[in-house]
Amino acid sequence: MKSLRRFLLRLFNLVSRRTQDERLREEIEEHIALQTEENLRAGLSPSEARRQAMLKFGGVEVMKQDYRAQRGLPFIENLLGDLRNAGRTIRRMPGLAAVIIVSLAIGIGANTTIFSWIQMILFQPLPGVSGASNFLLVELRTETGGYPGASWPEYRALQTQVPALRDIVASQMVPFNVGEKGQTERTFGQLVSGNYFSALGLKPAIGRFIRPEEAERPGTEPVIVISYDYWQTRFGGAPRAVGQKLRVNDRDLIVIGVAPKEFQGTMLPLKFELWVPATLTPALLGGARDLEDRSARGFSLIGMLRPGATLAEAQAELSTAMRQLARDYPAASAGIGGEILAFWEAPRGPQRMLISGLAVLQGVMLLLLLAVCGNTANLMLARGSTRQREMAVRVALGAGRWRIVSLVLSENMLLALLGASLGAAIAVWGTTALRVAPMIGAFPILFQTKVDGLTLAFAILLGAACGLIFSAAPAIHLARLDPQDGLRSSSNTPPRSRARKILIGVEVGLAMVVLIAAALFLQSFRSARQTDPRFGPEGVLLAAYDLSGRNPNEAAERQFAARLLDRLRSLPDVEAAAIATNVPLDLHGIPRRSFTVQGRVRTEPGQDRAISNTVTPGYFKVMRISLLEGTDFAEMGDRAAPAEAIVNEEFVRRYLNGADAIGRRIQTRAGSFAIIGVARNSVYDAFGEPAQPAIYFSYRDVPWDQGEIHLRTRSGNETALTSEARAVLRDLDPMLPLYDVRTFSQHIERNLYLRRIPARMFAVLGPLLLGLAAIGIYAVVSYAVARRTKEIGVRLTFGATSGRVVLQIIRENLGAITWGTAIGWLLALVISLHAFPNGPLSLSVFVGVPALLLSVAALACWIPARRASRIDPMAALRHE
Amino acid sequence: MKQKADVLQGTLALMVLKTLDVLGPQHGYGIARRIEQISGDLLAVNQGTLYPVLLKLEQEGAIASEWGASENNRKARFYRLTREGRKQLQVETQDWQQTAAIIARFFEAKAGDLS
Repeated sequence: MKSLRRFLLRLFNLVSRRTQDERLREEIEEHIALQTEENLRAGLSPSEARRQAMLKFGGVEVMKQDYRAQRGLPFIENLLGDLRNAGRTIRRMPGLAAVIIVSLAIGIGANTTIFSWIQMILFQPLPGVSGASNFLLVELRTETGGYPGASWPEYRALQTQVPALRDIVASQMVPFNVGEKGQTERTFGQLVSGNYFSALGLKPAIGRFIRPEEAERPGTEPVIVISYDYWQTRFGGAPRAVGQKLRVNDRDLIVIGVAPKEFQGTMLPLKFELWVPATLTPALLGGARDLEDRSARGFSLIGMLRPGATLAEAQAELSTAMRQLARDYPAASAGIGGEILAFWEAPRGPQRMLISGLAVLQGVMLLLLLAVCGNTANLMLARGSTRQREMAVRVALGAGRWRIVSLVLSENMLLALLGASLGAAIAVWGTTALRVAPMIGAFPILFQTKVDGLTLAFAILLGAACGLIFSAAPAIHLARLDPQDGLRSSSNTPPRSRARKILIGVEVGLAMVVLIAAALFLQSFRSARQTDPRFGPEGVLLAAYDLSGRNPNEAAERQFAARLLDRLRSLPDVEAAAIATNVPLDLHGIPRRSFTVQGRVRTEPGQDRAISNTVTPGYFKVMRISLLEGTDFAEMGDRAAPAEAIVNEEFVRRYLNGADAIGRRIQTRAGSFAIIGVARNSVYDAFGEPAQPAIYFSYRDVPWDQGEIHLRTRSGNETALTSEARAVLRDLDPMLPLYDVRTFSQHIERNLYLRRIPARMFAVLGPLLLGLAAIGIYAVVSYAVARRTKEIGVRLTFGATSGRVVLQIIRENLGAITWGTAIGWLLALVISLHAFPNGPLSLSVFVGVPALLLSVAALACWIPARRASRIDPMAALRHE
Repeated sequence: MKQKADVLQGTLALMVLKTLDVLGPQHGYGIARRIEQISGDLLAVNQGTLYPVLLKLEQEGAIASEWGASENNRKARFYRLTREGRKQLQVETQDWQQTAAIIARFFEAKAGDLS
């Protein structure tokens, strides 16, 4: 206590130094005056009295120093002094400081931006829900390692049988058609359990939330909760929205409340607008049996640990409950276990995609920051060495080793923290820039990332770590300095070049890795623009429809598609029309299906899989994919033809060794299909992908409740077809909205969006890093050369040509650089082989990038070397 | 060298506390005079060294100070013992007496006593 109080007082005294000094001065004066009076009384002359008093008091300055050391905190005073000094030093090297601060800021800014996303997943996986990180995912797991989700009956069982989890809530994502006949709009919502809002601890913005009893039995009150945004845009934020009717999937639901502003549902990063009791499922989804069907596993479960319960207890209870379910309902639940996971461990869905992408990005960015640190260390080392004399003087005047270290450290820390603050500013800009990501794919996405205290702390921590990393070498170097050496002529001492050489090597190696990653990204991105997709996207309009709200049977689905196609084809401007379940180059990829084909015996374990797309007749005409053999699918109305399939060239090459395919049978879980044609290979998942085997099935044989309409225009202006297509669908079914309308080119652009972000990032960072490496090498070499001016002068005097001198200097420095490059190259190769095991190795990148890096490095060596070799030998010899 | 100064400062602090305990509130000069009178020339301390000690004691809360008028009506800073200081004085007096007793016994001890 006593020492704490003393510390606080001293801290306070730091601030109030002046008045304190005044007080001491007065006290001393008083003391001496009293003593003088005393001496006068003793009979001394006035001047002698004062002299004696002063003598008795002792050395005033020494005492004052002692007093001050007592009063303030010398440590902090020194630190403040160091910081002032650091500020002066930095002002004296504006160019170097700018390079260091800006490069650090970019590195820290990029890292902080990505961290703000990761932080969101770790700590705010449920925006708008306080304490969201306490929630855990309850995932069912099949024997084969799949995560299918939970069925409603399973949810009801788990709700009571896992007491360690408080309030398990269930939700299922559903697209709704909202609005009156003829003007419906596709809006995403969640079917939720009755305890959904209460368990999440949410307070409605207005109105109330769904009550547990409203989600108890099917056919209960038709209520709906809307999102804050939906309330604002559709109801103008009016309080009377509560109690109004909303037409959802052709049923009237009563709006009972509005969710809080930030809440966007429980499946990051998707944004939902509507929440409906799960018990309305049969009413809203055309009599769907999701509430009874034990194999309809559409629900996602989350729950919070009861106070005092442990994760292991919850896990054990869940496993027991699942075993019980498997015994009671072997048909649906046999072999299905359960896992309790944190949000960031999400094994499926959009969360999974987001997390894995971010982890890779953060890794690359940390590597980049490390390279920046290496570069800064190099610059500081080179600069620190030129300050040997200054430091030697300080040591000679009595500065301790720690004072020197703290001097260097405070300079570098100041630089690092300046970089970190600028980096934080960049991160603030970056997160807002990335937040306005448009709708990706057919799903609305919202990232509520922001730079908050934790993110800022991360930026500052990164800055401090960087500061420490790049302070270490110069600080150690200078602290070890022998003042005598330092004060003597500097050109006599051999340069300590080992640390610098290693640093250069490390830096170049890191630059190599990042540059190759950048080049690969850029290359794949550019190839996306240049490669022929091997189908014709120009002039094609895409639009989607979804009958799932109707819960139709196969016949209804087939009939709807057939009628839709007939009507579309009769439009005057439509050259060809088709429906398909999947569109190539989609962000989510095209599903692969396992199959067996007649005439192939698989020798290795596992199953053959191929891309599968289900299309209507006319698809190949719309897509301009030519059929090399055979014919198109039979018409939709044809009931006589057997089940058909069309395969592509790669399928024939890979699975049939090029033999005749027509007439062979393909067996899948959906049935047996006869191959009636062979289509040309085209691009399915990504531009530049190696040829993939694919099977097309016919809508006639395998109808779906949703489809992507493909329309090829006659006039070349595909957007003009939008209103006509809408009219056609409205005619067929006034409650069905046409959604996700876009041209094929827009579809491709949109799906390149996610690739474009890292590509752009690398397009900036790659050249920046190359520039930094060049500056680093240049600084180090010019420093080393400057120190050897005398030696070079001697060489020149003894007849060395300047060419020889240049060559020697380059050779000395290029050694470490080459080593670094080679190691970095190998590392990049290993990473690339690991990340894309099947992808082609880009020769141009793996040869071009090292060549570029080495030539830039050689240039950075050559310039200072050449300058040194031009020196007049006489001047060089006289140099210090 | 440094250690000696520490010991001195410690004893000086104790002397200051005792002085204030006996005489009541005093200014710096008064304390210095008193210490000088009692210790005679045995403790030839520069009077100035008193002030850092006063500061330290004040920071520890053992003494408090305020401006007042000296006996001949000059402005002076008066120091007085706080309750905490009194406690500290008691403890330290005891400690000191104990130490002194031990040291005294040590010096009185003869070779014969130790065997």
